[in-house]
This record gives sequence, C-alpha cells and structure tokens, in this order.
Amino acid sequence: MSEVLLEVRDLVVHFPTPDGVVKAVDGVSFTIERGRTLGVVGESGSGKSITFLTVMGLINRKSARVSGEVLFEGRNLLEATTEELRHIRGDRIGMIFQDPMTSMHPMYRVGDQISEAILAHRNVGKREAGARAVEALRQVGIPAPEQRARQYPHEYSGGMRQRAMIAMALVLDPDLLIADEPTTALDVTVQAQILEVIDELKQRLNIGVALISHSLATVADVSQDVMVMYAGRPVERGTRGEVFDAPLHPYTLGLLSSVPRVDVRVERLVPIEGSPPSLINVPPGCAFHPRCPYRFDPCDRDVPDLRDRGGGHDDACHLSAEAKAANRRERLDMQEPVT
Amino acid sequence: MSTDTRGGAAEPLVAVQDLVKRFPITRGIILQRQIGAVHAVEDLTLHIARGETLGLVGESGCGKSTTARLMARLVEPTAGSIRFDGEDITHLSGRAMQHVRRKVQIVFQDPYASLNPRQSVGQIIGAPLRIHGIEGDRRRQVQDLMEQTGLNPEHYNRYPHEFSGGQRQRIGIARALALRPSLIVCDEPVSALDVSIQAQIVSLLTDLQKEHDLTYLFISHDLGVVRHVSDRVAVMYLGRLVELADRDALYERPRHPYTAALISAVPQGTGANRRRIVLQGDVPSPANPPSGCPFHPRCPKARIISGDPAVVPENCATEMPSLTAVAPGHTAACWYPLVPGDDLIAAAEGMAPEVVEQAEEAATA
Ligand SMILES: Nc1ncnc2c1ncn2[C@@H]1O[C@H](COP(=O)(O)OP(=O)(O)OP(=O)(O)O)[C@@H](O)[C@H]1O
Ligand SMILES: Nc1ncnc2c1ncn2[C@@H]1O[C@H](COP(=O)(O)OP(=O)(O)OP(=O)(O)O)[C@@H](O)[C@H]1O
Ligand code: SF4
Ligand SMILES: [Mg+2]
Ligand SMILES: [Mg+2]
Repeated sequence: MSEVLLEVRDLVVHFPTPDGVVKAVDGVSFTIERGRTLGVVGESGSGKSITFLTVMGLINRKSARVSGEVLFEGRNLLEATTEELRHIRGDRIGMIFQDPMTSMHPMYRVGDQISEAILAHRNVGKREAGARAVEALRQVGIPAPEQRARQYPHEYSGGMRQRAMIAMALVLDPDLLIADEPTTALDVTVQAQILEVIDELKQRLNIGVALISHSLATVADVSQDVMVMYAGRPVERGTRGEVFDAPLHPYTLGLLSSVPRVDVRVERLVPIEGSPPSLINVPPGCAFHPRCPYRFDPCDRDVPDLRDRGGGHDDACHLSAEAKAANRRERLDMQEPVT
Repeated sequence: MSTDTRGGAAEPLVAVQDLVKRFPITRGIILQRQIGAVHAVEDLTLHIARGETLGLVGESGCGKSTTARLMARLVEPTAGSIRFDGEDITHLSGRAMQHVRRKVQIVFQDPYASLNPRQSVGQIIGAPLRIHGIEGDRRRQVQDLMEQTGLNPEHYNRYPHEFSGGQRQRIGIARALALRPSLIVCDEPVSALDVSIQAQIVSLLTDLQKEHDLTYLFISHDLGVVRHVSDRVAVMYLGRLVELADRDALYERPRHPYTAALISAVPQGTGANRRRIVLQGDVPSPANPPSGCPFHPRCPKARIISGDPAVVPENCATEMPSLTAVAPGHTAACWYPLVPGDDLIAAAEGMAPEVVEQAEEAATA
C-alpha cells in the first residue's frame, strides 16, 4: 500500500516588490509517497526552491503572500507554530542544499555539528550523540569516519561535504528528505556517487525523497515520479516512464528534444525559442505560449488547468490528446539516432 | 569529418607538442617562496585539423581552461610548443603576435562577467575592429554580426544588462566573429545558460561554423553537448590527456577506464533504471598528483588486472603510461586499455571508499 507522506495543495507564494508582485509559486500541487523519489525539474527561477522552502517553513511570511495547504501526516504546516516547525524540520523532514559550504558552519568540527543536531532533538548524552554522528558518516560512505568526524568542513572535498550534509539530514531518521540541487556543484563522477547514496538510503530506510534539479536527465535516473515546472506552476506530472516516454506538454517535449544525450547522437537539436518569462509579468493564458510552436486560439487567453489525462499522468495544455500524440511522434522522429 | 584536403597532406591548424603549464604555489607575503606548483597541464600533445571541432572534456580543475588559454597565448607555457597555421607561435610577440590574435578568439563561459557593463552592445562587438584598425563602416559591420548571431540589429545602442543570458552569449559570439578568426576556442559556452537556451546557442555555433569555415576547440563538462558538436573528443584527467578518438568511437568504445566511468556517470534521462560505474573518491589535487598513472587510486580496471580491490599493478602505481595508439585514430594513456568483457561496474562496486583513500595516500606520499 502506498503511504502519502506529503501532500501539497494549490500552493501559492507571491512576493510583493516595488516593481510588482513576483509570482514565484502560483498553484503547485503534488504528493510524495514513502519509498519513492519525486524529481522536480524546471529552469532557473521556475519556483522549485521557493516551493520546498515554503514546505519547510523557511520563507519569511512577512515578505511573502502564501496560501494553499502543505499537509504532512494530515497536519497543515502552513498553520504550524514556529516551535512545531522546528521540531518537524530535521526530526521528520531533512533537507540538503546545493552548496554544502553555506549550510555547514566552517568553525566547528563536522562530527560536532551532527552531534549538535542530535542533542537538540533527542534525549541522549554527548557520548551517544558523538557515536551516532560517526555512524551517520559511515552510512554515507565517508572513509575512516572516526577521524573524519574530528575534521573541519574545509578539510573535506566537495563530494565529502555533500555526503556529510546528507548524514546530517538523515541522522534523526526523518521520513522525508528534500534535496535541492544536491549535485549541481559537484564533478560528474562525484555526482554519480551522491545520487547513488541518496537512492540507496531511500530504499534502505524506506523514506520519501524530493529531488530538485534543473537537469531532466539527473531526475530521470533516480526518480519514480516527476514534476516539470514552468514559471511557478507544474506543467506536467506523472511517473518517470510517462513523462519521459510519453511526454504530453510542449515544454517537456521541447526539453527532451533540445538536450543532447551521451548515449546516442541525434541529427539535430530542436531548440526551444525565446527565453523564460519574467515572474512579474507572466504571459496571460498559458505562460509557455510565447515560446510554444503549437500554440493556438485559446492559449494566450485561458490558463490551462493541470488535468489528469489518464492513469494519473497530468499536464496543463489546451492541445487535444491526438495533437499531443502527433507532436510527440514528429519530434521524437527527428530524434532518431544518426547511424 | 571535415579535414582539409586542399593542400595535399593537410597541415593541422593548431598543433601543440609536449605542452606544460605549472602555476607556482607561493607562501609568504613580502618574500614569496615557491613551495610547490599546480600541474595544470602536463605533456599535452594534440592537433586540431582545419574545419573540425575538437571537443575537450574532463572534470573541474583538470586543465581545460588552461589549455584554452595556452592555445590563445593568454598564458605563457612552462614548456612545449604551439604551432598555429604552420608557424611556431610559442614565443611570438609584438606585431607578429597581433596577427595571430586576430585569428584566434575565445568565447567564455560567463556571458555576464565577460562583457563590459558600461559599453553598449555596438561598442562591445565593434571593439576588436577598432583595436585592430579594421577599415569600413563600423556600424554596418557590427549590425551585420548582430544579424548573423540572431540579435536584433536595432538593439545596437543597448547595454548588456538589458539582454538575457542567452542573448549576452550571442553578443560574446558576435564579438569573437568580428575579426573573421579561423579558430574559436569555446570555453564552456553554454554551461551558465538555462537548459532551454543551451540548444539555441549550440545550434548557432554549428551554423556559424558551416558558414565561416571555422575550427573549434569546444570545451565543456557536459558530455552530451560535446558529443553533439564534436568530430573528435579529447579527455583530460589531472592535467593530462588520457584519451583521444573520433566522437563515436570515444563514446561507444572508450578504452581508458576513466573515460568509461565519466560517460557512465552522466545521467542519461532515458527513463530506465540503469547501472553505472560509480567511482569512489574525488579527483585528487593537481598540486599533488598521484604517482604513476594519475587515475590509479580510483581505477577499477587496475583492480580487474590485480584481482584484488586493495592492490594495483606495479606499473599503474609507479609509471606514467604514455599516450599510445589503441586503434586507428584512437589513442589512450593506460597500461591496460579496456577490452570487451571488462566489467567495470562490478569492479568499481567492489572497491570500498577506504581502499581508494589508502591508495591515494600511498600514491601522493
Ligand atoms: N524574497 C523574494 N522576493 C522577490 N522575489 C523572490 C524572492 N525569493 C525568490 N524570488 C523569486 O522567485 C522566483 C523563484 O525562485 P526559486 O528560487 O524558487 O527558483 P528555482 O526554480 O529554485 O531556480 P534555480 O534553478 O535558479 O534555483 C525567482 O524568480 C526569484 O527571483
Ligand atoms: N592563474 C592560476 N594560478 C594558479 N593556479 C591556477 C591558475 N589558473 C588555473 N589554475 C589551476 O590549474 C588547474 C587547472 O585549472 P583549469 O581552470 O584549467 O581547469 P578546468 O578544467 O578549466 O576546470 P573547470 O571545469 O572548473 O573550469 C586548477 O587546479 C586551477 O586551480
Ligand atoms: S594505467 Fe592502470 S590505473 Fe591507469 S587507467 Fe589504466 S589500468 Fe587504470
Ligand atoms: Mg533553486
Ligand atoms: Mg574551466
């Protein structure tokens, strides 16, 4: 039986600024289940980080207008007190960020920083906390964890710091791990290690994971479910197989046919024209319409709803199912490998 | 492949031989003592044929940008030679160098940092024409370049901050084209751009190459992009060239264990579960590279040969393998180039992180 850990319903996060209202997140809904990874993709500024910072209660509510529901085990976190949130963060939901240097304190030993988190949330002694910290470092594949625990963050390489961050996020046995671009700052061969560690821990600990990335391919390799975001909204949502093998939304299709692959060489890339919109002046109707090669009558007028197109594969686009299938065939034909 | 055949045995446009670049590491503020050196590029020998695109890949700090800067003579080599268009330019200076500078241009990664914010687009693109004293109607020349690179010529008087990232990269490309160069070194030209913009710039670069007979050195850590644009691909690790081959041979039949691991590590986005070669350990520091083959502490093939995850063959640990032909047009620097049936996935899985760390300590002691 699937167990829903997190359900986000119609989340809206708007920032009023002197230039106008920044609609950073504008109606985002999704669920994360235990034992599964939700991959969240979208280009820079599409609202990925703000969505999950809001889930974690890390958005300054004075500077933002927030609405919707963030249900964690039935409790709406948007209504939780600071105290409750502090308990849930770290204890129930762990988070890792792109740049491990900014989230670790440079002046304290890595082991002490992890122990600190344990002491803040668990009724254990210093010695026990220290032992658990070492064990957590071992779990994420850090060699000689007893010695490494006594070192400072700058004595770690980039990949090891990211492992230590994962150890810190997981040391309290949370049920949900949110990883925001955890590999973007790392070398390719080290990226592979980190994705492997996250995937392995997800299976072993049976937790839910949200993996945020601007790279479709990264997400495809380790996620079971995928959500594609554009200009603060999800435009497509489904299982990995649905989104990659049978993409519905023109933006997803555009990404799939414009990103070159390592495993095959295609004759021609089909770029997506134009650039991402400003979130202050989001285009009316479908936000993607100015760049969409298939736009037609209603697109610049009516906002398309995110709707189930069968079997839980959703997208937000006015085109008919037949038109989407035809576009997909045409695009993917162009993507046949060159022989 | 587009190798020039016009003049009999075609001479490559660029040929570098045994190129070395070391950056001194100093200590002390007033009396600076040199305490070591970063081995940014070591014994690099390669050529680029006229009209071809040579892809250059490798992880952060492996020496790609230094190679680019050496070829454009923006840094002085510590040793070795660079020939351009048949001429030894290693120590060229003054007027003779000016001539070479016109022929070699660089497009940089960061379109924000590489454009002067106080100059209009017209001034930026026109600057090389002005500096080199090119005659003619400058405004028309610049607007022509803008047109070719997909910029609106009416935006001649606008400033960089008024353009998006992709458009700024187009400005950088227009500037590089101004002097009608024969070689353009593209150093991570799309890495800083939004995913949906990258393909626009890649397509622009490939179109321009056809129109202007350009030769490219195309540097990227994105192996997908490099496969798309390159005729041949060179792989660097810790300042050294470890493999060089025709594009498809390199991606489909890599012979160096590092190349195989690098390609395998790239997320493929095929939507299917996939096993990959997961190397343990990080790329070591170029200030203190391992003895022998620089890859040996992390190398799964070396463990296949020794049959023991904790042991590497003697030559891997002590002697640098030289770049050797493993097939026509395909070279690799490895004592035990991959052969069909080598199971690197299993070999890498058998290596514990401790083993790699110990091997690194032994190799850099
Ligand atoms: N405090 C704020 N005030 C105004 N705008 C903000 C604020 N915080 C974020 N934004 C804007 O909200 C938008 C969404 O930002 P977010 O960080 O979620 O993007 P992202 O999808 O994570 O992008 P990236 O891939 O670059 O990390 C951006 O346009 C950003 O500039
Ligand atoms: N001016 C310099 N002084 C000292 N060290 C330098 C200098 N330029 C480069 N290096 C060092 O030389 C090595 C190679 O650097 P280089 O910039 O060529 O790598 P790269 O392959 O381009 O990496 P990246 O993918 O991160 O751009 C690195 O260790 C770098 O720190
Ligand atoms: S020389 Fe040895 S250590 Fe280096 S890549 Fe080849 S097998 Fe591996
Ligand atoms: Mg973000
Ligand atoms: Mg570089």
